[in-house]
Amino acid sequence: MKGKGRFWAVLFTISSLVLWTGIGLCGAPGFDDKEIRIAAWGPQTGPAAPWGSVARAPAVLAAMINEQGGIHGRKLKHFVRDDQYNPAQTKVVVKELVEKEGIFSFVCGTGSAGGLAVKDYLAQNKVIWVGPATSVKEYVFPVQPYLFSVYPLYEDEGSILTKYVIEKLGIKEIGVVYQNDPYGKNGLDGVRQRLDHLKMKAVAEIPVEATEKDLSSHVLKLKSAGAKAVLMWVHPTTGVVLVKTAATIGYKPQWVASNTLSDFELMNKISGGLWEGIITGAFMLPPDSDDPRVVKYREAAKKYAPEERFGVFFMAGIMFTEPLVEALKRVGKNLSTEAVLKALNSMKNFQGVGPKLTWSPDQHQGSDSIQIWKCGPGGKTILLQDWTVNELAHWKKK
Amino acid sequence: MYGQLIVEGLSIGACYAVFGIAVVIIYKTSEVINFAQGEMAMISTFVAYHILNVYGWPFWYAFIGALFFAVLLGVFIEVCFLRPAKDPTVLGLIVITLGAEMLLMGLASWKWGAEQKDFALPFSFHKTHELFKGVVINDWSIAVFVMAAVLMIFLYIFFRYTKLGVAMRATQQNEHAARIMGIKVERVFSFAWGFSSLIGALAGMFFAARSTLDPAYMMEPFLRAFAAAVLGGLMSIPGVVIGGGILGILENFVGFHWPAWKPIVAFLVIVAVLCIRPSGLFARHYEKKV
Amino acid sequence: MDMKRDYYEDVQLFESNVVLFWTVVLLVFLFTLPLYVPSYRFSLFNLVLVHVILAVGLNILVGNTGQISLGHAGFFAIGAYGTTLLMTKLGLPFVLALPLAAFISSAFGFILGLPALRLEGPYLSIATLGFGLTVTHIIGHWDFFGGRTGLQVPPLDLGGGFILKTDVQKYYLILIITIFLVLSARNLLKTRVGRAFVAIRDSDIAAEVIGVNLLIYKTLSFAVSAFYAGIAGGLFGFVLGFFNPEPFNLILSIVFLVMIVVGGLGAIAGSIMGATLITILQYSLLKNIKEVPYVGPFMVDISSRWFTVIGLENLNSIVLGLIMIAIVIFEPLGIYGIWLRIKKYWRTWPF
Repeated sequence: MKGKGRFWAVLFTISSLVLWTGIGLCGAPGFDDKEIRIAAWGPQTGPAAPWGSVARAPAVLAAMINEQGGIHGRKLKHFVRDDQYNPAQTKVVVKELVEKEGIFSFVCGTGSAGGLAVKDYLAQNKVIWVGPATSVKEYVFPVQPYLFSVYPLYEDEGSILTKYVIEKLGIKEIGVVYQNDPYGKNGLDGVRQRLDHLKMKAVAEIPVEATEKDLSSHVLKLKSAGAKAVLMWVHPTTGVVLVKTAATIGYKPQWVASNTLSDFELMNKISGGLWEGIITGAFMLPPDSDDPRVVKYREAAKKYAPEERFGVFFMAGIMFTEPLVEALKRVGKNLSTEAVLKALNSMKNFQGVGPKLTWSPDQHQGSDSIQIWKCGPGGKTILLQDWTVNELAHWKKK
Repeated sequence: MYGQLIVEGLSIGACYAVFGIAVVIIYKTSEVINFAQGEMAMISTFVAYHILNVYGWPFWYAFIGALFFAVLLGVFIEVCFLRPAKDPTVLGLIVITLGAEMLLMGLASWKWGAEQKDFALPFSFHKTHELFKGVVINDWSIAVFVMAAVLMIFLYIFFRYTKLGVAMRATQQNEHAARIMGIKVERVFSFAWGFSSLIGALAGMFFAARSTLDPAYMMEPFLRAFAAAVLGGLMSIPGVVIGGGILGILENFVGFHWPAWKPIVAFLVIVAVLCIRPSGLFARHYEKKV
Repeated sequence: MDMKRDYYEDVQLFESNVVLFWTVVLLVFLFTLPLYVPSYRFSLFNLVLVHVILAVGLNILVGNTGQISLGHAGFFAIGAYGTTLLMTKLGLPFVLALPLAAFISSAFGFILGLPALRLEGPYLSIATLGFGLTVTHIIGHWDFFGGRTGLQVPPLDLGGGFILKTDVQKYYLILIITIFLVLSARNLLKTRVGRAFVAIRDSDIAAEVIGVNLLIYKTLSFAVSAFYAGIAGGLFGFVLGFFNPEPFNLILSIVFLVMIVVGGLGAIAGSIMGATLITILQYSLLKNIKEVPYVGPFMVDISSRWFTVIGLENLNSIVLGLIMIAIVIFEPLGIYGIWLRIKKYWRTWPF
């Protein structure tokens, strides 16, 4: 028995020695004279993999920039890592990237749980994170010094879309279908904010799980509640099932959807053409637009990633990276994390293909506006309303 | 409104039932729960999609081609993965089917990518017929009902009057005795897998037409179909059909009144049913002997 | 393998001095691991250890008692949420919250054990599956549990302001708990309780006849297993730092089951090896194959010719599936069986 105790004591001593010697915490530097390393995580495999294209897109922007000689002589190198939408995996891949490869800044980054699991770690290691590919309030309220959000809040979107439906379309009977997660609930909050302001009430508010494939009871509930416009904050597949199911029972409300369902080319195809006439919010210029910047990106995508479909989410990956590139350009030759932070913090009304972005040291929610689109025949985008600000936005009234 | 709910519930329930039959056929012969069932149907549907969109052949060619592929796939999995297992435990066999599931899902995502695809059947959603006042039924549902009914009748005749069907039942009841009677048990297993895969592919195409086609789209329907099969007793084919119907209607009614609880109510009811009837509603419960 | 000659031989911890020696070597290796391995690997090692705890517990239920469970992600979730909520809402210290959450989980295990008295095989699996789904669904719908957004995990305070921050520090804590729980499982299986479990697995009716109370021992097996899952879940929360109900899905329950079947049913060493292998494979097998020299471009070439380059990452799940199939086909006892064979081969070598 005595020997055993001694053995454990020895082990204890060893481990405390190991701990005291202080095995390094610090990450490798994110840049050198030749390259700046950026990275994105996103689900590349598993059920959530359709969201993964956004993480791959910055590689196209990097290739474009590198072809022109990089940013002040430094090339951009983009890493993509698969996390299967699982925060445990996100943590593993992000730590490996930061401590092994050395990452200057993360861009995009899909999935709110994974992001929330690593955001403190990134801040501790002084790694910047620009343009998370989802809107999460906890990312920006309170301000996280190293995290800069581009995505408009779903709440603002909900409020603006509801206003459009009530004022421009003149529909008063509004039903909401929302995914039971922060995304859906924030959208619902936005609708409620606008309706409360107008002293109205939604006729139906129906939660849905992302995995559900049979939604006939949801649609019947909307129909029996008499909803003439239905606002959706759901997964694209859920949206398609809703619209298809409504068609089976001859229910034809005005469907209005969040910007995550604004990939009209895809949505129109997978809904068998039923997406035509649906109104959505949007957080950037349409991928089929004639805007010279969009055309440039489209050509680059064709050249560097011929397999990728240039849809909304692929282009969004480029859009989320634009402000970082801009900041890197502004900083100039003497690159450092602090300098880039300063450049990002002083960014005012910067506009790439996305909304106007303004960041300040005490406000890291970059955009407050959305566009409103309508799906035309064959998945063509029709612009209904240009950049619109939510005048009720709670986070700006302070 | 309730009439419409019942129609919708029955039609999705029939779809679960058809897929549940695929689960039951394998369970009936080899007592294995095939967790790869959903993915087998998924990849067969992708084959149909591929024939339709890449080769541009007409629908019925793609349909037949996919069913043919499904049979081959089922036989392949049985012959290459399950048969070589040395004195396997039931859990071991389940893990093999799980491995096959991951394999198939990986292959499909590698080949066709993760993005959703459109898969349409000639039985359209949009065409509706009024049954009673205010209650409509669409072509898709009619096709599902017809398919389920035809399958039921066919399987009834098959298991009762054909040699092969009787051999399958015999294999399930006592493998050794069946072997002694001269039944080639391996061949029966292969046949069961091929047949089950075919039925699964049928149901898979109907599910794909209802939602979208992507490598993960069969996970949820598989669970529901499995639940319907357990509710019916995993052994009896009429049981699965009734189980599917109950599940569909129940889910739709709960979904109408308490949408938040729709995803799990089926499982809660099944647990409750199982507490009273441990072998499902329609299977005879054999008391174990020592 | 050898005959046991007396009772003390049966209950002693190490079978021989050789085993003792290698155990000590392994322990020393594990405790000095941070000296050889870069620290970013430790979030993965922590996950491995957490899964080892869970697999050992699950193996008591599945391998030793012969009951199937497809709901262990539910117990895992109860452990994670229980520990975090007890600490944040009630302000309990970690050392109290973790076992308390595990006991809550174990109480749920007891409840789930009740239907197991009547159900078996696929019927039991669907009942446990329903349990797992229900737990995550309720958690996801109740704002008290953070809803789908998730929960921020409080700092891991061992008491007296001794806070574990880095992964390496947490690694030591989890390692010590793992060793303790593995030894407890080993001892438990050598007692009357463990033998009762095995008797139930081999034939529950015969077990009942010789005086094993099925009500007590079946539910006890569920409770013990759920206790392990609860501890593992509590630690999992601290490994992540932030979690939502998403990871505790059916797939996770299935992966747990795969771990013990691949590792070897009914063997503690098997569950350790299975959990280690499957976790490491799942998290790092063939990831980023594009960046590997020679192999990468070759695979990209194959992909662009017959598949899609975008989907190349799926090689991970393809190979993992094949490994699972191959292990079960060639060795029904799992990795533990392979290990036994190697041992036998060397013991009798060169004959």
